[in-house]
Amino acid sequence: MTGTAGSGTDRASFAASGRVFWLLPLALLGLPLVIGSYVQYIVNLTLVYVLVGVGFNVVLGNLGQLAFANAAFFGIGAYATGTLMYHLKAPFPLALCAGALAGGLAGALVALPALRGIRAFYLAIMTLAFGELMRWIYINADAVTLGSMGMQVPRPTLFGYVLVTDVDKYYVFLAVVTLLVAATANLLRSRVGRAFTAIRDNELAAASIGIPTARYMVLAFAWSGVVVGTAGALYAALVRHVSPEAFNLLELILHFGIVMVGGLASLAGSILGAAVLTAAPEMFRDLPGYEELLIAILMVAVLLLMPKGLASLLARASPLFRQRYFRD
Amino acid sequence: MTDPLIALSDVTVRFGGVTALSGVSLSLAPGEVVAVIGPNGAGKTSLFNAITGFVPLADGAIRLRGARIDGLMPHDISTRGVRRTFQNGGLFPEQTVLENVLSGLHAEVPGNPLAILFGLPGARRAERAAVARARALLDLMGIRHLERRPAGSLSGGQQRMVEIVRAIATDPPLLLLDEPAVGLAPPVREQLAAIVKLLAKERGIGVLLIEHAIELVMAVADRIVVLNYGEKIADAAPEVVRADKAVLEAYLGHA
Amino acid sequence: MLAQLLVSGFAQGCLYALVALAMTVVYRATTVVNFGHGDLVMAGAFCVYVLVVLAGADFFLSAALAVVLLFALGWAIQAGLIRPILAGPHLSLAMMAIAVGYALRGGARVLWGREVLPFPKVFPQGIIKLGPVILSPSDLIVAGVVAATLAVLAFVFLATPVGKTAQAVFQSPRGAALVGIDVGAFHRTMWGIGAAMAALGGILIAPITLLYPDMAASTLIRGFAAMTLGGFGSLPGAVLGGLLLGVGELLVGAYVSTKLIDITAYLIIILVLLLRPSGLLGRPAVVRV
Repeated sequence: MTGTAGSGTDRASFAASGRVFWLLPLALLGLPLVIGSYVQYIVNLTLVYVLVGVGFNVVLGNLGQLAFANAAFFGIGAYATGTLMYHLKAPFPLALCAGALAGGLAGALVALPALRGIRAFYLAIMTLAFGELMRWIYINADAVTLGSMGMQVPRPTLFGYVLVTDVDKYYVFLAVVTLLVAATANLLRSRVGRAFTAIRDNELAAASIGIPTARYMVLAFAWSGVVVGTAGALYAALVRHVSPEAFNLLELILHFGIVMVGGLASLAGSILGAAVLTAAPEMFRDLPGYEELLIAILMVAVLLLMPKGLASLLARASPLFRQRYFRD
Repeated sequence: MTDPLIALSDVTVRFGGVTALSGVSLSLAPGEVVAVIGPNGAGKTSLFNAITGFVPLADGAIRLRGARIDGLMPHDISTRGVRRTFQNGGLFPEQTVLENVLSGLHAEVPGNPLAILFGLPGARRAERAAVARARALLDLMGIRHLERRPAGSLSGGQQRMVEIVRAIATDPPLLLLDEPAVGLAPPVREQLAAIVKLLAKERGIGVLLIEHAIELVMAVADRIVVLNYGEKIADAAPEVVRADKAVLEAYLGHA
Repeated sequence: MLAQLLVSGFAQGCLYALVALAMTVVYRATTVVNFGHGDLVMAGAFCVYVLVVLAGADFFLSAALAVVLLFALGWAIQAGLIRPILAGPHLSLAMMAIAVGYALRGGARVLWGREVLPFPKVFPQGIIKLGPVILSPSDLIVAGVVAATLAVLAFVFLATPVGKTAQAVFQSPRGAALVGIDVGAFHRTMWGIGAAMAALGGILIAPITLLYPDMAASTLIRGFAAMTLGGFGSLPGAVLGGLLLGVGELLVGAYVSTKLIDITAYLIIILVLLLRPSGLLGRPAVVRV
């Protein structure tokens, strides 16, 4: 650490290096040229799980609140999008926005008890009950959801152009994911992100400096729901089949794994976690049990040996990857 | 006479069947330093929790510049200008020193959610202004060099300083310090005394101070309030309190 | 009809009470909420399955062995995985419990695949008539075992120093250590006891229902529903909540819709937390910020 910490040149260099992050999506533009179609599908799925991880991490890592409703937000986004496209033949962009909105509303709803003073384990149990309740609804509201068989989602279209191949979808996904990750980064590096971590570190002290903590908890869940709901919408467009099975507790361990293995409260970590773990369910499709076992063992290892996950390796390599809660 | 900065009248606080404060009245003027002393369990921290809204009043009223603040949520009371520090330290250990002070400015950083999400120039300007303000405060206390350190990695004395900087970041009219000198070495205590005096006499902040370190109390307090078993048994100038029989008995009886 | 529902619900509720009781013991003694408890119940059930069906051992011998094995597992989980991160954030402890639970579930699935396993009828068959009410011997056995467990726990927590120790360790592990309590050993033992009680639950459940690795989730949620209803952290509350949940599920199924049986527990959690967070017998659980 130098004596000029935070000086003008320092600030300029930091701002300049901050722009480095835009190189990643730019470089990814060329990816379809070098990979095959199955890998392209996995890459698209990885983009979906980047949003799943980034959204979940806001609640788990930044707010520090244990929650089990993430698979439910994912499912709600997917079902909202799928329902609009299947029943109402809505265009994909509209259905996508509906998925994001539905996820956000679900997030706010689950966290509403915080306004009545419900915290910690109580709120966690509430999210668990909510998640399982949603799965029951997917199965039983069959007039809309088509029950446990699930629904076949029509091909997504974009302004009249049908997204046929995974490469078509890839560019749409890349744009949506980049936008939402950048927005989340902006949010976390503002007074809102500071409020989240303040609540996590010491809620009474946060209240004592004028932060309405319960409202910020609702806000964190709502934004998390928007991001994860959008992931669900993209999932519906990618897999084109939405069924209750895809959003069960087995799905949830993948979400936990992405956040924990990538690193709590680290955006870069969630991206890394998604890159590492998205393929796991695909790899073990015919080997029941191995996916949970692998992710659970990785989580145990991270908890014991590397509490900040893979992101701590990045942060060690460059201070750029250290999560900052302000911008100058 | 104008309204005092803060006025408590007949404040009573109960936890289940236990009465932590019973009928306590006191007031404080701008720029005045009032120390609250008393044996352990006398209700000192309960008094702070009552003023800052962390515990509900069973009876009585608290007025800030004449306006009732009891019954408000803690964050509301804070934004009206009552800020505090915590006995066991209230910093956010995973935030850096700079981020802690920025958090202290929370209520005064404009926050249009859309501008924040899209990183619009307005939001960026507001953030830059807040960072400049936070750095100026750290400069003032001479701890600017710590700004990038996670708060959890600081020494006890440094943490106490940062917590005070965070509390006064918004220029509150009233500051409540809960045992700020615990665990500090004598030179740091003197530094602390100088800061408390500076805040009161030059910035006109009213300071309510819970403290066991009697030399610090004598050095900074304009007035001393003594609590015992939740009741106020003395409220006078330091020299008067020192000679008070009831106060001596309260302490000796517990010693 | 109503009498029958109440009695059958009571028997079912005894199982929920046992799950809630075990989770409450671990929570009260160590402040950790074991989100992997459902998987320990599942592990206990699979233990007896392996011993009875695959190894052909006697049921009661297998049951005893399963309890011992799970006690050792709980002890080892605390010693090897929880203790090293005890000083860390509470979220990490919960995540560890979740990870261990998923590892157990994954392990079970690796060994048994997606099959649903039937368990031999080890409890006496037949029916017992009490006026208009029909009971099965398994109902009586379940109720008897749970009552006995409850009696032992009540004795240990109320009439021996264990209760005071638990109180001290819960409030301040450091303070408890200062007055000479071996906090580490106490935590390990309590995790062992919690896991042994899980095994007991699994043993009682195995002969009644089919076994499958995902039974853990519904078990866990019903345990939470019972704890929430009775009052989180209250031992009598866990029992009361479990019994009421068992009866409530059957009443909802009979008078409203059988479809709702599965979500009675979820609805109870949501409603209780919204309307009366302290539950029936617990202390208020809300913060004032």
